[in-house]
Amino acid sequence: MNTEVADPTNLSEKKDFLVRSSSLKDVRSFSREVFEKFKIDEDLREELVLAIAEAAQNIVKHAYKDYPDTQDRMAVRISCTGKELEIAFFDKGKPVEESKVKHRAIDDVKPGGLGTFFIQEIMDSIKFKEGDKPWINNLVLTKKL
Amino acid sequence: MKFKVTDSENISTVFLNGEIDMDIADDVREVIFPLIDSGKEVHLNLKDVQYMDSSGISVIVESSKRAKDKNTKVELKEVSQPVEKVLAMARKFL
Repeated sequence: MNTEVADPTNLSEKKDFLVRSSSLKDVRSFSREVFEKFKIDEDLREELVLAIAEAAQNIVKHAYKDYPDTQDRMAVRISCTGKELEIAFFDKGKPVEESKVKHRAIDDVKPGGLGTFFIQEIMDSIKFKEGDKPWINNLVLTKKL
Repeated sequence: MKFKVTDSENISTVFLNGEIDMDIADDVREVIFPLIDSGKEVHLNLKDVQYMDSSGISVIVESSKRAKDKNTKVELKEVSQPVEKVLAMARKFL
């Protein structure tokens, strides 16, 4: 885990993970570790962990849908300015078509659809960006603290 | 994930624990679905589940639908606080 900035009012940590469903528990562990270090309110931590895990799951499930054995890695960066938390995801999978990212009806519930709903419920903003090389996708979630 | 199944008359109770995510959702389906397919009423005890995401919710929803098709039912028993929070959020989706 890399701490990019030591200033306690402007912290940032980034880690990369193999794009696999088996990496999701490592994504959660990383997030919990960072939130403890950043002293994020305990009531909020597990909600944020859920949002992060759902976003990472969407990368595995959708951006790499046709490549289950990829050796590509995805990166998660958690930054805190004190007043706002920014969580950025980077991957080299299929480009995200934002118009297709929506949740489904409950009777057709699938992880991607409900997961996106959870992210929307927990976070204040969701932005899909084109990733700077070598990344293809860059999802940025923010939450006011 | 470890699990335990107990049987009482026509009810099977599945005790799940640990963290239920996309990586182990299929393992959970493999435990629950055969019980439903055999016509049993299935109770899911989730008191020792510390984390559940949308994949876990999907397993519950799919199990309920499957049970309905088989003229039986799935009930949740002793839900942990973290799971209750996720269920509450999922209910808004209903």
